[in-house]
Amino acid sequence: MISKFQVAYKNLLRKKVRSLLTLVGIALSSWVLVSLLGFNQGYETSLNRDIDNMGFQIMIMAKGCPYEAATLMLQGGAGLRYMKESIMADIAKEPEVEQITPILMSALFDPNKGEKGGIAGYFGIDAKTFAELKPFLRFKQGGWFTAPDAREVVMGYEAAELETREVGDMILMPEKNVQLKVVGILERTGTQDDGTIFVPLKTLQKVLNTPEDITTIGIKLKKGVDSAGLEEKLYKLPDVQIVSLTQVKETIMKLISTAKVMVLSIALIAIVISMVGVINTILTSVWERFQEIGILKTIGAMPGDVFQLIWIETLLLCTTGGVLGIALALFLSKVTDLAMRAVLPYAPGGGLVMIDTRLVLLTLAGIICIGLVSGVYPAWRAGRIRPLEAIRGEAGR
Amino acid sequence: MNGKTVAIETQGLTKIYTRGIEQVLSVNEVSLKIAQGDFVSVIGPSGSGKTTLTNLLGCLDNPTRGELALGGRQIFGSGKRLSERELTRIRRETFGYIFQNFYLIPTLTVLENVLLPLTFYRKPGTESEALRLLGLLGIDHRKDHLPGEISGGEMQRVAIARAMVNRPEVLLADEPTGNLDTKRSTEIVQVLKELNQTAGLTIVMVTHNPELARQANRMIEMRDGRVTEMQA
Amino acid sequence: MRTALMEKRSGSAARGSRKRAAAIVLSTLPASPSVKRLALLLAFLMLFAGASPAWAAVGCDLNDPDRDVARLFPESTGYKTVYTSILKKGGKPLLAQVEKRLGDTFKGIYETIDVPYTIYEIFTGTKKVGYIHGVNQKGQFGGIQVFVVLTVDGQMRGFYIQKMTSQYAAKLRDAAFGRQFAGLTLKDFEQYDVATGKAAGKVAGIKNPAPEAEADFRAALRATKKNLILMDEFVFEEQKR
Repeated sequence: MISKFQVAYKNLLRKKVRSLLTLVGIALSSWVLVSLLGFNQGYETSLNRDIDNMGFQIMIMAKGCPYEAATLMLQGGAGLRYMKESIMADIAKEPEVEQITPILMSALFDPNKGEKGGIAGYFGIDAKTFAELKPFLRFKQGGWFTAPDAREVVMGYEAAELETREVGDMILMPEKNVQLKVVGILERTGTQDDGTIFVPLKTLQKVLNTPEDITTIGIKLKKGVDSAGLEEKLYKLPDVQIVSLTQVKETIMKLISTAKVMVLSIALIAIVISMVGVINTILTSVWERFQEIGILKTIGAMPGDVFQLIWIETLLLCTTGGVLGIALALFLSKVTDLAMRAVLPYAPGGGLVMIDTRLVLLTLAGIICIGLVSGVYPAWRAGRIRPLEAIRGEAGR
Repeated sequence: MNGKTVAIETQGLTKIYTRGIEQVLSVNEVSLKIAQGDFVSVIGPSGSGKTTLTNLLGCLDNPTRGELALGGRQIFGSGKRLSERELTRIRRETFGYIFQNFYLIPTLTVLENVLLPLTFYRKPGTESEALRLLGLLGIDHRKDHLPGEISGGEMQRVAIARAMVNRPEVLLADEPTGNLDTKRSTEIVQVLKELNQTAGLTIVMVTHNPELARQANRMIEMRDGRVTEMQA
Repeated sequence: MRTALMEKRSGSAARGSRKRAAAIVLSTLPASPSVKRLALLLAFLMLFAGASPAWAAVGCDLNDPDRDVARLFPESTGYKTVYTSILKKGGKPLLAQVEKRLGDTFKGIYETIDVPYTIYEIFTGTKKVGYIHGVNQKGQFGGIQVFVVLTVDGQMRGFYIQKMTSQYAAKLRDAAFGRQFAGLTLKDFEQYDVATGKAAGKVAGIKNPAPEAEADFRAALRATKKNLILMDEFVFEEQKR
C-alpha cells in the first residue's frame, strides 16, 4: 500500500528547487514571526522582572529629586533633596501597602578617585524592611548589620570586587573619614544592587548629620492591588514626587509598541507573501499535473481524495518551513536579542527574546493553519479536474 | 452473445457537443449490447466519435440523451445528470482504463503506481493483485523502477496492471498502442487478448489500426457518430 | 545602547557605560515636560534596574585613556588597547609561575585567574614607545589601582595610583612619590619581599611619604611587583621568544 502522504511527499521532491525556495520563504517568515512573538513576551517578562527585582512598585522622592537621583553618580548629588522620615507613618497606614522602606542616598566626593576625584555613593537603609522588600538578596559572605546604628556596611558583589573588600575588612567613607566594617557581601543579582554600598540608615544619618532625613521611600503593594488608587492619595502629599513603576512600565511599553507594530507589520507582510508563494507553487504544480490528476479520477480517486493529496502537499511545505523557521529563531535568538538591544531606547536585563514551548507550539499551529487555508483553493481546483478534460487535453495536443 | 449476461447496453445514446456556434453530433442514437467476456474493438476515422462513445460507455461523461445500463442496472436515461462524484463511484466499481499516454505518476515506482488505485478504493481480496499482475504481465523485475527508466511497452503494461488491480468488470482501452511500435503494439493486444480469454474480462478497445482491431472477437465501426457491426 | 562588548570588559565599565547612557538620555532630549519625565524614568531604570548579564571579573582600565595617555606619554600620537588574562595566556601553570615570582599567592575575589588585564601600547607614529598597565590591589580601606608606565624595554618611566581610599591617599598619589620609581626595572623589584616588606637595592630606597599608611605603601609595592611580573609574562617574554 502507498499512502496519500507518500504520494504528496514524493511529488514535492519532483521540483526540488521550487519546493526548496517556497520552503525558504515560509521558514524566513516564520522565523520573523517567532522572533517577534518571542520578543513580545520576552521583553515584557524581562521588564517585569527588572521591576520586580527593585522590590517596590512605587517610589516616593522629595520634589525635584528623581532627576538628581538618576544623575546622583554623575553630578555628585549636588541637588539631593530630603524629606522627613515621619512622612512614612501615614503612608504605611494605607490599606494597599504591604511593606514600606526608607532609603537615604548620599553621594560623597572622593578626591582620590581618578584625576579629578569621583563620587562614592552610599545607601542608608533599614535592613529589616529592605530585606523583606528584596527577598531575592543572598549573601556571598557574612550577613546584614548587627545593629540599626552599627558602623558597618554590606556591599554589592561588584562594589566589593572593585574595592577588593571581604567580610572583616574596613572601608573609609571619603569626605567624612569614617571607618566602617564590612559585615556582608551580597551575591550577584544582576541589578544595580551589585554596585551599591549599603549602610544602616541611622548610621548614615548620623554621619551626614541629617537625622530624620531620607531621600526615598520604597513602597511594596499588596498582591493584586491596583496601584492607581494609592497613587492618587500619594499625589496629595506635599513636596514629594511619585514614581510609579507601573507608569514606568507603561511608558516603556508604549515606546516599544511603536517598534512592535512596525515589526509585526513586516512579519504579517512576510506571511502574506509566503502564503501567496505557497498558493502559487501548489497551483502551478496542479496545472502542470493536470492530466495526471485527471487520470487519478479514472483509477478511483474521489474529488475529496485529490483535495486531500494537494492539501497534504501544502501542509508538508508549511509544516517543514515552519519547523525550520522556528529552529532558526531558537538558534539565532541571541543575535536577535543583540539586534533588538541595538535599536531599542531601553532594554531590560535578561533575555529579550523568550521562545518557550508554548510559543513554539502556538506558532507552529498558526503556520499550519495558514498552510491549510493556503491549500484550500489549489486543492479545490485540483479536486474539480474531470478525467474527461484531462483526456481531451491529450487529444488537443 | 446468446445466453451471455449483458455487461453494457445502450439505447439511443447521443452526445452533442457545442463548439463555438456549431453543434457537433458526435454520437448519434447508438444502441448496442456488449456481453460479459466480449472483446470489442471500435475502429473508425478521426472525428468519427469513437472516443466519445467509449467515454460514454465508460461513464467518463454524461450523454446528451439516451440510455445506458451496466450489468442490467440503469445508469443514464432517467434524464438526470450524474455528478462527478457519482460517476467516480460507478467507474471504480466497474471499469479499468488505459490510454494512449500511459499517465503513470513519474515520482512513484512501478509497483507504487500499480498500488495507487488501492489508496483510494479497494475491493476485497485485492491485496496481492499488484504483484500477481506484474508477474502475469512479465514486468515484475521492473517493480522498483521509476516509469522514466522503463520502455514504452513496459509502461503500458504497468498502466494495464494499474487498471486491473481493482478487478474491473470492463477494461476500456483508448488507443492503447498509439504510442508504440508495431512489435510492441502486437504484444500489448496479445496481452489484452489473453486477459479476455483466461480471465473472461470484457474489453472495449478503440484503435485506428484494422490489423489490431481484428484481434478482437467483435468489431464495431464508427462513422459520423453511428455504429456498424463488422465481421471479425 | 549598551552592547555586550562594553560589558565584557569589566563590571565597573559596564556600570559606567550605563551611567553615561543615562546622562546622554538626560542631556540630549529636548526639555518639554513630558519628554523630560520620560527621560528621567528611563534614566532611573538604567541606574536602578539595569542588569549586566555578562559577569566577568573586574579589571583595571584607565579612567580616561585619551587624556591619561597624553599625560603619561606627551610625545605619543596614538595607542592600542590589548585585553588579556592569565587564563587566556597560560592558565594554571602561568598562575603558579606568577605566584612563585611574586613570592605570594593570588587571593580574594579580585585576584583570580580570569581577571582581565588591559595593556595600553603607546605609539609615536608607527613606532611603539612604551606601555601603560594597571592592576588592582587590595588596600587598607579599599581597592588601589596601580598603573606603571614602561619603556619598550621594560624600564619604569612612571608610576601612578589612579584610585585609593585612604586619609593619606594624597601623599601616595603625589607625583613626588611616583618619581621615586623612575628608572626601576623588574630586576630591582625581584629583591623586594612582598610577604615581609623587606627590600634591598634600589627598591629599599623608595621612601614612604605617609608612614601612618604603611599597609597601603606596602600594597602599592606589591602591586608594582605584580604588575611588572605580569608585563614580563604577557609582553616581554613573548618578545624574547
